[in-house]
Amino acid sequence: MSVEIQQIHFSYGKIKALNGIDIRLPQGAIGLLGPNGAGKSTLLRILLGFLVPDSGEGSVLGYDIRSQQAMIRRYVGYMPEDDCFIPGMDAVSFTSYMGELSGMPRQEAMKRSHEVLYYVGLEESRYRMLETYSAGMRQRLKLAQSIVHDPKLIFLDEPTSGLDPQGRKEILELIMDISSKKDIQVLISSHILPDIEQTCSYVVILNKGEMAAEGQISELKQVQYSLYELKIKGEEQAFLDRLASMDSQVEQTEDKLLKVYLSPGTDPQDIFKIAVEEKVQIRHFVKSQTSLEDLFAKVVGVD
Amino acid sequence: MTIKERGYAHWDGELQDGRFPWWPITRIGIRLTFKRKFFKFFFGFTLIPALVWLVGIYVSERLEDFKFMMEGETDFLNVNPLYFKTYFTNDFLLFMVVMILVFCGAGLIADDLRHNALQLYFARPLKKRDYLTGKAAVIFFFLFIVTLIPGIVFILFKLIFAGNFQFFASYPWLILSVIAYSVLITTFFAFYTLLLSSIGKNRRYVSILIFGVYIFSDIFSAIFKEIFRSHYFYLLSIKSNLQQVGAVLFDQRTPWNIPWYYSLTVIIAICLFSAYILKQRVRGVEIIK
Amino acid sequence: MTAIIQTQNLSKWYGNVLGLSDVTLEIEQGITGILGPNGAGKSTFLKLITGQIKSNIGSVTIMGQPVWNNYPQFSEIGFCPEQDSFYGEMTGWQFLTSLLRLYHLSSTEIEKKADKALEIVELSEDKNRAVRSYSRGMRQRLKVAQSIAHDPKIIILDEPLNGLDPLGRRKIIRLIKEYKGEGRTIVVSSHVLPEIEAMTNQIILIHQGKIFAQGDIHYIRDLIETHPHIISIRCSDPRQLAQKFIHHDFVLKVNFGLKKGVLLVETNSRDKFFGLLPSLFVENQIEVEEITSPDDNLQAVFDYLIGK
Repeated sequence: MSVEIQQIHFSYGKIKALNGIDIRLPQGAIGLLGPNGAGKSTLLRILLGFLVPDSGEGSVLGYDIRSQQAMIRRYVGYMPEDDCFIPGMDAVSFTSYMGELSGMPRQEAMKRSHEVLYYVGLEESRYRMLETYSAGMRQRLKLAQSIVHDPKLIFLDEPTSGLDPQGRKEILELIMDISSKKDIQVLISSHILPDIEQTCSYVVILNKGEMAAEGQISELKQVQYSLYELKIKGEEQAFLDRLASMDSQVEQTEDKLLKVYLSPGTDPQDIFKIAVEEKVQIRHFVKSQTSLEDLFAKVVGVD
Repeated sequence: MTIKERGYAHWDGELQDGRFPWWPITRIGIRLTFKRKFFKFFFGFTLIPALVWLVGIYVSERLEDFKFMMEGETDFLNVNPLYFKTYFTNDFLLFMVVMILVFCGAGLIADDLRHNALQLYFARPLKKRDYLTGKAAVIFFFLFIVTLIPGIVFILFKLIFAGNFQFFASYPWLILSVIAYSVLITTFFAFYTLLLSSIGKNRRYVSILIFGVYIFSDIFSAIFKEIFRSHYFYLLSIKSNLQQVGAVLFDQRTPWNIPWYYSLTVIIAICLFSAYILKQRVRGVEIIK
Repeated sequence: MTAIIQTQNLSKWYGNVLGLSDVTLEIEQGITGILGPNGAGKSTFLKLITGQIKSNIGSVTIMGQPVWNNYPQFSEIGFCPEQDSFYGEMTGWQFLTSLLRLYHLSSTEIEKKADKALEIVELSEDKNRAVRSYSRGMRQRLKVAQSIAHDPKIIILDEPLNGLDPLGRRKIIRLIKEYKGEGRTIVVSSHVLPEIEAMTNQIILIHQGKIFAQGDIHYIRDLIETHPHIISIRCSDPRQLAQKFIHHDFVLKVNFGLKKGVLLVETNSRDKFFGLLPSLFVENQIEVEEITSPDDNLQAVFDYLIGK
């Protein structure tokens, strides 16, 4: 179990930041979500061992969060949100420097830094000065320094901020590749929900210092009622009339999406039978789910 | 037959506790300093006094050979604690030391603050103490090259040129003076530089501060001293305080008519103040926003 | 519908750096999303159509009038820049009112409009704090507030969602959709493609200073002939279904997905394919769980037109 905490409380003076947080994280990539001021940063600070909780127990990678903070920081990688680097260095020496600070022998750090720079796609610019790097390259560099010492747990803070669509896609692919390794846990904190949905299978949502929701994304998104989303082409009206005759309600959104609420006991396959009879093409057929955004808004108490 | 598949690969090694976790910081600090424009040239220039003094030591042993060049006074070539004190406390050397600090020290913390690098350091198994030790060691490295090392070299060469241990027998404590003074001045300047480097985010601004505070403390102390006709105003000057304590360490008369321990108190006070400010400015907690 | 914003052969370069090259297009009422890689010319384009910089070649007209130096018309345009540009000492309230004063409004009106804008972006409680003490999200909201405060008909937003938390994003997206309902014209850029999709189907894709595509996302996707359509079907018996497909020449490729029960089919004629599909299900009694088109979205359009 990589991260396991119970009843963590923390306050800055009179301001309560965390109010009884329990987390047991499963394997794989985890999304850490919450509105501003929800306590995400405080939680990260406690997990990385910068703050000691007022009360509560916990361990990260089996090391106690109160007493073994140095050991925790040895085996975790952290990719900060801010733009950060050391001027006057090239990518190779920077990355191997970071590896050395984590406790790698110097020669090994040098070898490994070439490897991770290849991995994040900076192989061609690894001898260039960091000052000349573009925003997208710096983002990759931050990822490289967070994995140079082969950590068992990686914290990524807004990993796609400032990236264009291409760069965003590539970074997300790297993150998915890393988290597909069974022995590495990735914890991503982000405001961009589509990124979380793409990379993570499990989310933790904080709100006002408390757990608002936690679980597998697919389970959280399930809805109870029988609602299907369809896109069709052909004789629309006849098709809709037939659906209505089956006691199902149909709504049409502005981008031509049909939302079909089937009455209980109706077989969804009947829709295809009707389609055959009415010669209608069904181009899109999905059982409706709550979007992560709606789920988020619901659990933090905003409509 | 093995293959290397694409994708993330593990590193098969063990992360270890280094005996000196701060050492990489120092090494990189030194390397970055040498990469700065003009620094090598400048550093060479700083070593000129040491060369001149070394030549002086050689000449002092061969006074007969060089008689034709000397006219009159040869007292200054008498290698004794005063000779050492003159090297260590002369205005030029102290000035060059400050210039070296501008090169090697200005960006030590300021650059990290400016580019948010502190969070990269402290997300690793590194204590605040390690970080500051590593940074201070960069200053120790450069200042020892112009203080401690020349001092020891002078003594060695004096013995070698003389071919006997008479010099050592006359001043057995001199080597301790050299070490004590070098450590004092280096420690002081390390605190001084790190303090100034941690209060600015801009290397250039810090450079001006390092240089300016040193020069202006000297100028103001001289002005006040003239106005109020009191030697106590030399306590305002960084340079004068160092020279005062230096003179005592080499068992010489102090240049000004004030107790030397006042100067030492001022120096220690500045160091303590710096340590306090550094503790406030370099914080791990705030790295995650 | 008539075009609100029109550009003719619009070109702009900075020294020898290309900003925009030969852009002729029309933007209609409603929401238009602008996207492209970094440095593609998006910001240049947005600055040109708001009359902040002068083009080297070509012209911009808004509602039939040229934009450059047309001061009366500026009160019809609201602009939210990508970069932060504030006077840190001012409070949010002072910042807004001092900008509103530029529109020759009476002071009661200024106060009313500033209050309303701050309320919309939910900054009313913090309006008397210095901007310097604002968080990144609050600054972003203040920037949006100043672009809508004078009630413009045309709103140009450059990366308005940057730095906002999910709730902030949701609110701004809703606000933009509301404005569309009121008949305004909104041009919005973003790097997060799903967010553009959440706002609009109308996009302008800029790359290398040129327009690579303009129009409805799905329509653009249909035009890309080099990439056959991929259709993903999750059903009870994908292998039996696959057998039926291979006899048809409009099916180019059949793959079995990594997930259980998923069949990926590539076709060069969606019409024929979807015409056949329902009857195959019914005849063979295959239970369908899901039909989707994984590459009929903005990400795919972007990748196919611009990706490496």
